[in-house]
Amino acid sequence: MGLKSGGLERKSKAATEIPSSSMADIAFLLLIFFMVSTVFQSDKNRQIEWANAEATEKMDEKQKDILNVWVESNGAVYINDLERTMDEVSDVVYPIFVGNPNLKISIRSDRNVAYNYIDQLQKELVSAGALKVVFATELEKSMTRQRR
Amino acid sequence: MAVLGNKKSKVSDEIPSSSMADIAFLLLIFFLVTTTFPKDKGLSLVLPEESEQIEVSQKNILHIIVNPDGRVVVRYGDSPQEQTVPADNLRSIWRQGVSENPNLIASVKTHPDASYRFMIDVLDALKAAGSNRISLGLLEG
Repeated sequence: MGLKSGGLERKSKAATEIPSSSMADIAFLLLIFFMVSTVFQSDKNRQIEWANAEATEKMDEKQKDILNVWVESNGAVYINDLERTMDEVSDVVYPIFVGNPNLKISIRSDRNVAYNYIDQLQKELVSAGALKVVFATELEKSMTRQRR
Repeated sequence: MAVLGNKKSKVSDEIPSSSMADIAFLLLIFFLVTTTFPKDKGLSLVLPEESEQIEVSQKNILHIIVNPDGRVVVRYGDSPQEQTVPADNLRSIWRQGVSENPNLIASVKTHPDASYRFMIDVLDALKAAGSNRISLGLLEG
């Protein structure tokens, strides 16, 4: 401590290390902030009784390549949480299909809907150019089928 | 040193809390990795293009008619003979049909008032039998 000028060698009483004990708290705070502020884009789940199928397969498509088309038991069609009439479907689907040619339509229909609606829907999708469709079903085990 | 209560242990009596964050992160990463979101699932099909019209000779068609009450009627293209079968039996019918004629196409015609689930039952049976030449249509007349 012989050199007094400049004070370069003066030892400060404050710790020279950044306190790391609260780092985890900061990390958790950030984590929780992003968890809370993240919104997943998804439709509202509609009251639908799923059709069952044994051959149900999982789809590998990314979520953004899938467009859900809901058909309720009274034949009402919903796309992106908006009710559409049957004639509007192709006009609604076409711009989405042009923006994403890999688009796959997931037809989420109530099991008791009259097939007439599904047929109209297919025709609308074909005229919009969206040819890849999936009839959304629940996996049915062969055991339950035998009991039925 | 005979009194036990006075003995001071050198081992710290606090649970070490410095690694708590590490444990928490480990758990977090474990659950992040093991979580699977429910994937969309169903029976996939590629619809024909709007202008696409292919002439198929009658003998290559397996007509499947779905009635409003769920009855499934099967008829081979060129024969007048009709047969009412449970939807499950379509698998063996398709397998047998396709082994006799590899160009067989299943033409599923559903009555407009029939429930969607009856059509799905038929589609399911065909898919389960490994068919991918399926035509869906509306029963007319």
